[in-house]
Amino acid sequence: MAYSATAPLLSQQLLLNIAEQLKLPLLQIARLSEISQMTGQPLSADVQVTAQSALSLIDNYVLGVQMAAEKHTMELESVSVSSVLYDASHELSGIAKNYGVALELNIGGRYGPVMINRLGLQSALVSLGTALIEALPALETPQLKLQLATHRCRYGIVAGLYADSEQLSSQVLEQGRKLYGHTRQPLTTLTHTAGAGVFVADAILRAMQLRLQVSRHHRLYGLGTVLQPNHQMQLF
Amino acid sequence: MRILVIEPDKILAEIYQRALQSDGHAVVICASAQSAIFAADESSPDMVITELQLIGHSGMEFLYEFRSYKDWQNIPVLIHTSVPAGEFTDNWQLLRDELGIQGYLYKPQTSLASLLSSVTELAPTHV
Repeated sequence: MAYSATAPLLSQQLLLNIAEQLKLPLLQIARLSEISQMTGQPLSADVQVTAQSALSLIDNYVLGVQMAAEKHTMELESVSVSSVLYDASHELSGIAKNYGVALELNIGGRYGPVMINRLGLQSALVSLGTALIEALPALETPQLKLQLATHRCRYGIVAGLYADSEQLSSQVLEQGRKLYGHTRQPLTTLTHTAGAGVFVADAILRAMQLRLQVSRHHRLYGLGTVLQPNHQMQLF
Repeated sequence: MRILVIEPDKILAEIYQRALQSDGHAVVICASAQSAIFAADESSPDMVITELQLIGHSGMEFLYEFRSYKDWQNIPVLIHTSVPAGEFTDNWQLLRDELGIQGYLYKPQTSLASLLSSVTELAPTHV
């Protein structure tokens, strides 16, 4: 595998960040198991969702590192952004339920297909969504809602995740990018966790020549990426 | 005993609440330092258990604010955190003497049984 010059550094920083992040689901599983024994109640189904979410984070990390290393062979396909958001919301539904966060899908517009690596985009959205779902209850926002949405902007079609929290700002994101891998809590004002999902999404999107950036959707704040429409496919 | 638990993770917070309640305690859960100050004012806790790694204001900032109120200066505080003990070596004396921290538990290696045991040990005698 031919890694680019930045790949080892990227993977080490991400790995440290993910190691910190994975303490949370493991701790949850250990304590859920213990409380089950203590109270004599059956082990909650939450355990399975928690474990699945942790496994998904590891898979997405590996995908990000592999994409950074093998970006020239990454397959592109013509994809409906709405369908990727739909699948991502389905994948996030379990962890959202565990955290009491209502997931909303806002994919009403017809924006046509984009040329993208579908797995990469969906993995980035799921990683990002997981991080935001874990953070939202602790942000004590008025409503525990996360919206997966798409809209058109001057530069293309935006796919992102949105919430009623001003903490989803470019300042917070830029500071986190500088700190991750060096501190336990790089997104201090956004999440109490290591925020690994945000950085995994960032790594995957960068490997696809895309960028995780701050975005607004109606009155909500969010993080997302701008995709280029596939004009050829729109002819049909 | 009334216990104020400051725990930002919703799932863990619910687990700690259930465990403490099963041991006969009344528990108030808060996710942030700011809401914890309000909750302390409303619930008059007999003990505080806090994580240090919070969103925005840290657990340390909460403790400085909390201890600045005369009524709350003698309430036992137990740190229950994902921040390893190694990072406290230099500051432990400050935590103990200035902020009146009675105990430290490293969350990843503290079972619910150990948490309950520490709460019993630190419980004020008049409660």
